[in-house]
Amino acid sequence: MTTYIIRRILLMIPTILGITIMVFAISRVAPGDPVSLSMGPGGQLDAQRAADVRKARMALYGLDKPIHVQYAIWLKRVVQLDFGDSIKHHRPVIDLIAERLPVTITLNVISIIIIYIISIPLGIFSAVRQGRFSDKVSSVILFMLWSLPSMWAGQMLIGYFCGPTFKNWFPPAGLSSNFADALPFFPWLGDRLWHLTLPVICLSYSGFAYLTKQVRAGMLDNLRCDYIRTARAKGLDNWTVIFRHAFRNSLLPIITIMGTLLPAMIGGSVIIESIFSIPGMGRLAFEAITTRDYNVVMAVATTAGFLDLIGLLLADIAYAIADPRISFERIE
Amino acid sequence: MNTRSGWFTFLLFLLLLAMILLQVLSMVQSDRLYERLNFLLETISSRQMPASKAEPNLTAQSAQKYPGDEGDWLVWDLSGEVRTLNLLNVDATLDTRYIVSGTIIEPLFEQDLDADKEKLKPKLAEKMDISEDGLEITIKLKDNIYFSDGVPVTADDIIFTFETMMNPKIDCADLRNYFDNITGAVKLDNRRVKFVMKERYWKTISMIGSFYVFPRHTYQFNDPNEFNKRISNPIGSGPYVFEKWDVGQQIVLRRNENYWDKKPNIKKIVFKFISNATAALQALRSHDTDMFEPGSEQVTDMPKDPQFSKEFRTIIFWDPSFGYWYIGWNEQRAFFKDRRVRQAMTCLTDRKAMVEQLTRGKGAVVTGTFYIYGRQNDPNIQPWPYDPQKAAQLLDEAGWKDTDGDGIRDKDGIPFRFKYSYVAGNISAEQMARLLKDDAAKVGIEVIPNPTEWSIFIGNVNARDFDVVELMWGGVIEEDPYQIFHSSQIQGRGNNYVSFNNRQADELMERARRELDEEKRYALYHQFHRILHEEQPYTFLMTRPRYYFIDKRFENVIVHKLGIDLFEWYVPKEKQRYK
Repeated sequence: MTTYIIRRILLMIPTILGITIMVFAISRVAPGDPVSLSMGPGGQLDAQRAADVRKARMALYGLDKPIHVQYAIWLKRVVQLDFGDSIKHHRPVIDLIAERLPVTITLNVISIIIIYIISIPLGIFSAVRQGRFSDKVSSVILFMLWSLPSMWAGQMLIGYFCGPTFKNWFPPAGLSSNFADALPFFPWLGDRLWHLTLPVICLSYSGFAYLTKQVRAGMLDNLRCDYIRTARAKGLDNWTVIFRHAFRNSLLPIITIMGTLLPAMIGGSVIIESIFSIPGMGRLAFEAITTRDYNVVMAVATTAGFLDLIGLLLADIAYAIADPRISFERIE
Repeated sequence: MNTRSGWFTFLLFLLLLAMILLQVLSMVQSDRLYERLNFLLETISSRQMPASKAEPNLTAQSAQKYPGDEGDWLVWDLSGEVRTLNLLNVDATLDTRYIVSGTIIEPLFEQDLDADKEKLKPKLAEKMDISEDGLEITIKLKDNIYFSDGVPVTADDIIFTFETMMNPKIDCADLRNYFDNITGAVKLDNRRVKFVMKERYWKTISMIGSFYVFPRHTYQFNDPNEFNKRISNPIGSGPYVFEKWDVGQQIVLRRNENYWDKKPNIKKIVFKFISNATAALQALRSHDTDMFEPGSEQVTDMPKDPQFSKEFRTIIFWDPSFGYWYIGWNEQRAFFKDRRVRQAMTCLTDRKAMVEQLTRGKGAVVTGTFYIYGRQNDPNIQPWPYDPQKAAQLLDEAGWKDTDGDGIRDKDGIPFRFKYSYVAGNISAEQMARLLKDDAAKVGIEVIPNPTEWSIFIGNVNARDFDVVELMWGGVIEEDPYQIFHSSQIQGRGNNYVSFNNRQADELMERARRELDEEKRYALYHQFHRILHEEQPYTFLMTRPRYYFIDKRFENVIVHKLGIDLFEWYVPKEKQRYK
């Protein structure tokens, strides 16, 4: 097991390298650069001066060198865990990420927990009632949710539940109220959760369908197995059959999904964070891309790629732990 | 199946239902908690401080500089986050100025908001003396002015700010350009500074007037990059001090209790960054924010709602900084070399319809580059009519005729077909493109709308690699059109990217630059305006007023000709929301 984990971690190195090379190349090849962007036509400059300023700024950010040299410099710094300074914010990128990553992770972890809490029972329920009316209704509703674009849903939720037009239940933007600083811990936490409610709903509702279908399929496979019939024949009651026998065995695919769900949600939170004005990684990435803030783009891509790989690795390890049949040791 | 599973599922749903209910309840609960908390704080504070008298009468009010009760916060929603709070930086935007200038860092003089021209009122400076030849300006500072940390403001601070700005390593080349004309700043004594200029230029005088004073003792640097990187924590002499910047969320200013002048009433100003327009309006309506700049559509529709207009004021004024929209015709392209073609294009552009559709009739058609209610603008110039027939006639005269019968005009084998570039995602630009496309098609011109991402768009404009661009210039109350229309600015990355080249216009702009007498200068600019109108280097489209929705609990909200002044506002004690 240990050798397997070490091997996997070593394999991550070339993967990460590949990801960074791709992102680096794409971001530099894309037209536009941060210097001319911030110097737009609004900054009234005479021609010669403008060219000089541009040159000086390009040199300041190291953008005047050839791409491969820039990459080598970048890589050298990143190995020392230095992601450089943001061109837009004039601050170390690592600080920006440290500020925003917790927000995104909170948002996503809460969403994943909610997805699991709702999807697992729902999946079991529809497997047990396979083909009945309630199963069909729940699948139809789930597919409807799955196909609702979250940016539309977000706008609708803001429109209907965040103001006097319909119900003024939730705050429409941000992470905390104006007076949050003056609050003691628990009201502060309540305020924070109150602000997170709608974003979490938007992030999680589309996940229900996917996970529920997975649970349902896994359950159905197992319910058809011989050992279930044996268990029933033994005279075990339905509850025990479903939970002790069938459910445990259908946990496997759910664990795998955990590994892929996290990266997918970090992608999804780009939209949600923009809609709800939440200062997270997604919004940082989005702004960095539109302003060609290369260092931030690279750092976000690397961090997200790293998180993805870790997620997949954890899923594989969890696999082995959950199912004794799976082993990563070489069979002698 | 048996009853057991039925029960199980029932219980499961019950559990879910209970969770959702609990969630909702806790929210309602927290709402109540805040109310109670606020009530509690209110009662405590009202016990400590004697309640203010009922509404003082109007004459008493006008006698004071800032009448009304002290206290409360103003929560202002700026739609996007600023990049820097350093005014001496290329990245400083209008929003940066809203946050910092006048509030934290003060200028020597400030614009009189009720004037129709550039009129400076003393702020940190007491007076400005201009020498006979217009080449020397002496500024005298007021006595007893202090930075928020108690250090007095002196001539050294002015010199420091000036030298910082002129330092080529400081990232504010755009601003430096305006001070290009100044050869040096000399300290005469602790309160007086003399600026020496190379040549007479009226704009230099007004730039010195609106010059910000940075405290030398806190901003001093050895490495210019230290200054460039200082994007937060601004310090100055203003009525507010910087409290915090929660990145991605808000910037908070607190009142400077040691302010040297009369303190404004509002204790805190919070700038929020809600980029989503729907959310911004909802935040205002649920009183999370107090002030917000809506679009034309919202400003037309919302006040119709009686509940809304009971709670919020709608403010409309013609802000010079708003600028105007225009279509720039690249004169390096075969089609637009001829003035008649450009006039024809203007006649094809239904500017009145654009004003109706894009600003709900609230805007106005512009005829030139100046602020339409300013003195530089010649109000007698009438916009070109919307007249496709006249356009067709002008095109015929210029030699653009459909010779090959394909329905598109051509000349010397070049078909009249061009790309109309605008910034992708800009809905009003897209609508304008469609309007023009339809009208142009009727007279045999093919317009190809070409939405382009901003970063690429800018690159194309600077490289002069475009046929037609739709863009907008920001404005000031009195501007120098030299940067945009003088032929010397065609080269390189200058701002005359449409390559407008007119000797008479060049001469007028050069003469106006040197003219310090206002009336004579306005006359020159009127002549220049006339040439612009005849030549149509741009099709000048329209401008619109600036709008704000402001919570009605703020009183004494005076709408001046040129803008609003937050410092005049106050909230009566009984309506105050924040402590």
